Amino acid sequence: MRIVTVPRDGVPVTDARSVVADPALGKNFAVQADVVVVGSGAGGSVVAYEMAKAGRKVLILEAGRYQPSANFTEHLGDTMTQIYRDQAAQFNTTADVLFVEGKCVGGSTVIGGCVMHQLSDKVLQGWSDKYGLKGFAPEKIKPTYDLVGKWLNVHVNEAHEINATAHKVIQGCERMGYAWKPVQRNVKRCALTGHCLAGCPSDRKMSALVSHLPWAAAHGARLFSDTQVTRALIKNGRVTGVEAVVRDPDTGNIVSNMRVDAGVVVFAGGTVQTPLLLQRSQIPDKSGQLGRNMTVQPFVQVMGKFKEPLYGFRGALVGVQVDEFLESDGIILASGLAEPEQLMVQGEQGAGDEHMEYMKSYKNMAGLNAFSLDEGHGSVEWKGGLLDGDKEIKWNPNRNEFAKIARSVSLASRIFFSAGAEKVWMPTFQKLAANNVFELDEQLAKVDYGINGMYTFRINTFHSHGTARMGADAYESVVNPNGEVHGVTGLYVADASLIPEPIGYAPQWTVQVMAKYVSDRIQEKSSSYFVS
Amino acid sequence: MVPTEQAMSKATNTPAFMSGLEPLTRRSLLRGLAVSGMAVTTGCSRLFGRKDAPEVLEFTSLSESEARTVTKLTAVLLPTEKYDMPSALSVVPTVKNVDVMVGQMPKQTRDLLGLALWVFESRPMVSFKFSSFSKLDDEKARDYVLAMQDGAFFERGITSTLKTLITVNYWRDSRTWPGLEYTGPVTEKWGVRRLGNAPLPLV
Repeated sequence: MRIVTVPRDGVPVTDARSVVADPALGKNFAVQADVVVVGSGAGGSVVAYEMAKAGRKVLILEAGRYQPSANFTEHLGDTMTQIYRDQAAQFNTTADVLFVEGKCVGGSTVIGGCVMHQLSDKVLQGWSDKYGLKGFAPEKIKPTYDLVGKWLNVHVNEAHEINATAHKVIQGCERMGYAWKPVQRNVKRCALTGHCLAGCPSDRKMSALVSHLPWAAAHGARLFSDTQVTRALIKNGRVTGVEAVVRDPDTGNIVSNMRVDAGVVVFAGGTVQTPLLLQRSQIPDKSGQLGRNMTVQPFVQVMGKFKEPLYGFRGALVGVQVDEFLESDGIILASGLAEPEQLMVQGEQGAGDEHMEYMKSYKNMAGLNAFSLDEGHGSVEWKGGLLDGDKEIKWNPNRNEFAKIARSVSLASRIFFSAGAEKVWMPTFQKLAANNVFELDEQLAKVDYGINGMYTFRINTFHSHGTARMGADAYESVVNPNGEVHGVTGLYVADASLIPEPIGYAPQWTVQVMAKYVSDRIQEKSSSYFVS
Repeated sequence: MVPTEQAMSKATNTPAFMSGLEPLTRRSLLRGLAVSGMAVTTGCSRLFGRKDAPEVLEFTSLSESEARTVTKLTAVLLPTEKYDMPSALSVVPTVKNVDVMVGQMPKQTRDLLGLALWVFESRPMVSFKFSSFSKLDDEKARDYVLAMQDGAFFERGITSTLKTLITVNYWRDSRTWPGLEYTGPVTEKWGVRRLGNAPLPLV
């Protein structure tokens, strides 16, 4: 019998400094593993745990730095600098849509708002029928949702987890006759600090940092941070490992070149990074779909000002959601108000006195986040050389999507006015606000689609997916129903890029379920990959 | 005649003026601006944000004229003393923060930011009696900022980027938070106990 002990705190990590200090590694070194997992977020951490638990020699490579939760400061600005990708400045080509993503050990699970959604039976059945993903038929995959949910303490928010911002949303919905419900979150005994986006210093958010990564480490997995994989090595249609560089996280300078020899490589870098990895690896892309079909779930934040102070930034960040418009309009709304500096990227706050008065009313504000379902026409492409190239992310709203975003703003604004808001600010690049519901349509009509909807609504995306979609048809998809890249034996994907069509839900739970599913398929084929 | 917002808007659409900007508007300029703006805003006040503004301002990365533009824009955007808030110029080192961030930018982004600052500084020449932005009086400077914010999409992009860069660098300083009644970090203050790693799931 094997005794497995989880570290009490933190995760054992080999970072750039350790590599430099280790004479056994040097400027160029090679490592052998059974499975190399690229990315340590929602998908990668689950695969690493499952593979290590099965007795495989697992190596996890993470491009971001390791920030132990004990070091989190609850200061959003510091956190963005250290563990958000591109210092929270990852944009599309026109620089008006912000792609928010974690770049650290634990990935976006560390900085997320903890919202967990299951896909509906209808969606899952559609995957099974349309894309040949038989393993995702509801009756087959639901037990995995339950298992992952249990691991991560997913629960419906209790009364104490509904803060003042959420209560305003509830009031508005009750008056409008809209259905609302408490959000499900992966938190254990939430301390109600409201600083989810800056990482949870008391380890209550069940991010990969405190769950699957230490569990994987307990089973022997080894984790390198500051390690950027440049490409997978492929020989005769079979993956043989990866090449990577270890970078000083402060200067970006390369401190070592690394090669990993492994029979199985799992890319789990997320919707933006995984297609870039696959493109740099020059996989055969028969379908021509690699890096395409990206759904961004555009998100805008409507701010309402109320007469009484709410201190809506206190308490659980996300309290309730309004999902009755998901089926009919492709819109889902969720309450939430974060740190003051976050307001600067959510709308236009005027200048001078107007700006100061806007900020002074922060304690009277509530925020309603409006996510809308887009059509999945975004793309991600690597341009240039392996080490000196750069990504190109393309997505701007088409007219339908623009109209849907406007509708989501209208719905959110009406909820706030019904709850008694004195003023509602539009999430636009123009300075627009309505003082009552009768001004709302007039104000919204001022947002003109213009050229490709550029610089109209201030759009963020937290939930992008679909750039290496899964499917049975190799001419329509990048990855087969087992998660293995079509045409490359041993190369797997386990993250949100697998999602085969636009979904309107927060994807983390589904990603973790898919990662568990892919891990099980790797195990089923283990005799093809591993000697013992 | 004092130019009006309408006149400026008309001038915005003047082909001769636009022709110099056209190749930049769709991609490189805006992308560089927004990226640099966000990167800078998030990147440097860790180093400088909670220090006092130096008595003598010395800029290592911003040129003299760029520093003038940023300083003027800071004064226009953040009339802090009037609201009993820490000064954005003499207490919170907002402009110095920008300077430090600019020093950390990749060259291409830095060049584009320089271009944006130049455009923002020079744009009033068209409609404000050949005056540059930093030479406008406060009222006209404010009118100019508001007009740019309601202007064409590239003008909105430049203005939003510069405004975000400056305002984030001010409001993220913890000395500004009491004025907003924002509590800031609380875990330590409340004595919240760390739970550590979750136990292994039962097999």
